[in-house]
Amino acid sequence: MDEEPERAKRWEGGYERTWEVLKEDESGSLKASVEDILFQAKRKRVSEGHGQVRLGMMRHLFVIIDSSRSMEDQDLRPNRLTSTLKLMEFFVEEYFDQNPISQIGIITTKNKRAEKLTDLAGNPKKHLAALKKAVDSTCVGEPSLYNSLNVAMQTLKHMPAHTSKEILVIFSSLTTCDPANIYELIKTLNALKIRVSVIGLSAEVRVCTILTRETGGSYNVILDESHFKELLMLHVKPPPASSSSECSLIRMGFPQHVIASMSDQDAKPSFSMSHLDSTGEPGLTLGGYYCPQCRAKYTELPVECKVCGLTLVSAPHLARSFHHLFPLEAFQETPLEEYEGERFCEACQGELKDKSVFTCLACKKVFCVECDLFIHDTLHCCPGCMQTDRTS
Amino acid sequence: MIPKLCYFLKLLVFIILNNLILKLKLNIDGLLVYFPYDYIYPEQYSYMLELKRTLDAKGHGVLEMPSGTGKTISLLSLIVAYQKAYPLEVTKLVYCSRTVPEIEKVFNIIYIFITHCIINSYFKIAFQIHFSSVKYLSFLALRFGKEVDGKCHSLTASYIRAQHHSNPSQPVCQFYEEFDAVGRQVPIPPGIYNLDDLKDFGRRKGWCPYFLARYAILHANIVVYSYHYLLDPKIADLVSKELAKKSVVVFDEAHNIDNVCIDSMSVNITRRTLDRCQTNVETLQNTISRIKETDAAKLREEYSRLVEGLKEANVARETDMYLSNPVLPDEILQEAVPGSIRTAEHFVGFMKRFLEYLKARLRIHHVVQESAPQFLKDIYEKVCIDRKPLRFCAERLRSLLRTLEIADIADFSAITLISHFATLVSTYSKGFTIIIEPFEDRTPTIANPVLHFSCMDPSIAIKPVFGRFQSVIITSGTLSPLDIYPRILDFRPVTVASFTMTLARTCLCPLIVGRGNDQVAMTSKFETREDFAVIRNYGNLLLEMSAIVPDGIVAFFTSYIYMENIVASWYEQGILENIQRNKLIFIETQDAAETSMALEKYQEACENGRGAILLSVARGKVSEGIDFVHHYGRAVIMFGVPYVYTQSRILKARLEYLRDQFQIRENDFLTFDAMRHAAQCVGRAIRGKTDYGLMIFADKRYARADKRGKLPRWIQEHLTDGSLNLTIDETVQLGKHFLRQMAQPFRQEDQLGLSLLTLEQLQSEDMLQKIAQIAQQA
Repeated sequence: MDEEPERAKRWEGGYERTWEVLKEDESGSLKASVEDILFQAKRKRVSEGHGQVRLGMMRHLFVIIDSSRSMEDQDLRPNRLTSTLKLMEFFVEEYFDQNPISQIGIITTKNKRAEKLTDLAGNPKKHLAALKKAVDSTCVGEPSLYNSLNVAMQTLKHMPAHTSKEILVIFSSLTTCDPANIYELIKTLNALKIRVSVIGLSAEVRVCTILTRETGGSYNVILDESHFKELLMLHVKPPPASSSSECSLIRMGFPQHVIASMSDQDAKPSFSMSHLDSTGEPGLTLGGYYCPQCRAKYTELPVECKVCGLTLVSAPHLARSFHHLFPLEAFQETPLEEYEGERFCEACQGELKDKSVFTCLACKKVFCVECDLFIHDTLHCCPGCMQTDRTS
Repeated sequence: MIPKLCYFLKLLVFIILNNLILKLKLNIDGLLVYFPYDYIYPEQYSYMLELKRTLDAKGHGVLEMPSGTGKTISLLSLIVAYQKAYPLEVTKLVYCSRTVPEIEKVFNIIYIFITHCIINSYFKIAFQIHFSSVKYLSFLALRFGKEVDGKCHSLTASYIRAQHHSNPSQPVCQFYEEFDAVGRQVPIPPGIYNLDDLKDFGRRKGWCPYFLARYAILHANIVVYSYHYLLDPKIADLVSKELAKKSVVVFDEAHNIDNVCIDSMSVNITRRTLDRCQTNVETLQNTISRIKETDAAKLREEYSRLVEGLKEANVARETDMYLSNPVLPDEILQEAVPGSIRTAEHFVGFMKRFLEYLKARLRIHHVVQESAPQFLKDIYEKVCIDRKPLRFCAERLRSLLRTLEIADIADFSAITLISHFATLVSTYSKGFTIIIEPFEDRTPTIANPVLHFSCMDPSIAIKPVFGRFQSVIITSGTLSPLDIYPRILDFRPVTVASFTMTLARTCLCPLIVGRGNDQVAMTSKFETREDFAVIRNYGNLLLEMSAIVPDGIVAFFTSYIYMENIVASWYEQGILENIQRNKLIFIETQDAAETSMALEKYQEACENGRGAILLSVARGKVSEGIDFVHHYGRAVIMFGVPYVYTQSRILKARLEYLRDQFQIRENDFLTFDAMRHAAQCVGRAIRGKTDYGLMIFADKRYARADKRGKLPRWIQEHLTDGSLNLTIDETVQLGKHFLRQMAQPFRQEDQLGLSLLTLEQLQSEDMLQKIAQIAQQA
């Protein structure tokens, strides 16, 4: 983690024992450091999830953000709350980028209560605005895991069975103040097939371990800010759908964007349906998307039609979700010593220095660890293969 | 709640050494060992190697291996394999553990270990059940072991049974009769028997499970029971004296074995004991005069038997039949009972005189400490009691009770105690001290005279065990420093070794906190323990830790009084209130019921995410027997160094004795004792390789080399110079970092090859070399 370029100033960093970083190889492999294990986990993530699995592409995700007293802790800069909210903004954008036909909702919990910040909705703007506003809120009291899960569950349980129902808890406190036995609630969540994942900001809490294990989610604890971001990004990818979730055909509308030409004198600016409930930014626009079923007008996609309830998306949106279904195959890992050939990464042109190199099985090009991760996480296609495709 | 009768728990195991369904076959130094798991820890392999060496040499061993690394299974698999390979060399494994939960744990391991074997066991509670099945006794609610004992005796004693022959209305125990008639001839089917199994078996056959167990113990391949059955002379005589010489005896969790030895040989006499003894004597007198009228021949017969002496017992000892009893010294066996106490009346008179003397001694107003010879001289001068008759007191009383056919021996515990005292005081001139205290130190106004006849030499009680059995293994998670146990128990081990824990990740984090944030030294040293700043810093430490440690924290104090003072002062300073914002607080008290209630609630709070702190005391019940696995103990804080109460006269006498006899300096012993308890306390949190926890030693004195060096090696190894003498702030930073690292996902594959080995990995050359480094010979 020390090589992180955006690292905070030395004096801002926590108390650290630099000599321990040097120590790890002293007694051979016996003391495999945690970093090593983490590296393995990173790789595993890439190799996992490949192959033909059904993914829940239509996701309904509730993010529960702990806003209790412990969020004022300054181990993330400037404090946990600000840092979390900033990352959340990024997460929301990324989430909608990768899951255009999904929805998100945000819940905060403090003072033993849970409060819905935003309802489930498919448009990032509202969420981002709410997150920006939440930065100024104060952090007081204890969180209540029970209450917040309950609030999320009340909404999620009415969602159709073909969607993936998820809750992501960002839990900073080490305690929870619950009005009733949480294990009962976990059973109910399990029965409703709601998957709960937790990202812990301080340490492993037993109740979260059980919660995630029972509902099939994941539980991670952050090491520092960059790790936090990494963990959060894990939740951007759609999870595998449970085999029992039913298949059904879903009606969707693909409205065309219609812009009335300036020459057309009859064109009158009109309101978008999505502005009906929001008080801000009154937008009179000329063009927009028109629902193919009821002709209601919207300025942005994706959206659920307010009038007829049809899901309106654009074709590129669906296409973008596509790569999840046909992911790039994992590269073959070989130790550096065994690799013969030029020691240059095909992507970044840097020298191969890590202890293993990665070979694309299709085009036999070689990549370094960082590029391997970048290709699989972001590009979703092998640059080597693309090149050969073009030349041939 | 665990019933109090657990003390009587005894478990026996029979093993048929065939039909083992096991997974790993190891070759340990030429011996084929079956191991019931797919994987083995390197230290287990190393442990078995050392154990094999000990058995080969037919000697004793002291082995230290951290808890949670599979000591028990290694022990069992190796010794059983050894039994199988050399059936004539080792016939029996006697496995002694300290507490009931531990015995049960061992038992479960045996279940895993062997599918086709037998255990035999019994609980005295078995009596309860079988008594209630006898109709006319069903109204008796027998709650104490003693009562059950007495009742049992009144139904199964030989004379009762003889009377039953002539007079069928005399009640006898059907279960015993049945067992006596056929039980001894019929072999018990092989298998594993625990208490309930044996009870069931007994009920099915109609045999008394108690006598069945006593009989079965002789034929079992593995016996699992409590220390007391071997170390306490009174019980060992009944249960264990016929165990074969070629047995291997294992004392698990043996870090306190010296105290068990001492307790089993010490006698405390209060005024109440004497009063009860007085009534005993009167009962005896009445019975004697009654019998004299009805059956004088019986008394005469006893007299002549006593003239003959205790030859019978002597023959038995010479032929090496029995484990010798330290209460029954050799000279007694060779001589006849002295004339002055041979007749029943004279003996009762003698006891009366002795009793009066003791009463007079208890009437003093100042503390007296004297040695056994001084006491004997004084008793001779005052009431003309000689040393010799005193020595025979215990034997004589037993003979008398037998002759008088007193069925209900439970009532005679007081006089039995006094007679034991008489025998011990006259037999051992060294190793014991007599301290008479007119009042307790804390309540100098309330007269409560106590005569402590205190054993100072643990080797007296354990000597017969070392002498009789060919191999005795002493093992525990915390035995450091290893050289001290052979010294205080007075034996020569052939192997002394300490094993470390091989870890795929450093899952324990010992930290020594020496200062508060205000740089004031933190210590529980007597001079500064009342200091406001120290108490406040301790409070701040707990407060800070409660904010960063998830789920459960266990905090240990040095004593109940200290804990009470500190908690009171935290309350006044408002620290307690702040802590309670983070976690609930539970406190261990001296009341067992209260404590188990607190424990239960503590665990509940850890379970449902509320988080809790348990404040308890080193040397208390919690520190000795309760494990805090995983979330039940993510951090242990040891406030201060748990020195024993040094002003106690018994301790002072013992220290003096250790210095004179074993050349162990007072300070060395005190530190050793304190550190083994500290290690015991902090070791509660780590119960395996997947577990993790912070170990916080909150006293600057821990940083000193003499203290640090006495911690077990597996803790010391992780105690770097960087974790000594920290401030609270630094501790919080380190702790936070550690907890985050440990919360990262950890799978079995990560351990494989490092701290978990398959057979192939085990056979590789460099792994064998690494294993060789694990064991450290002391």
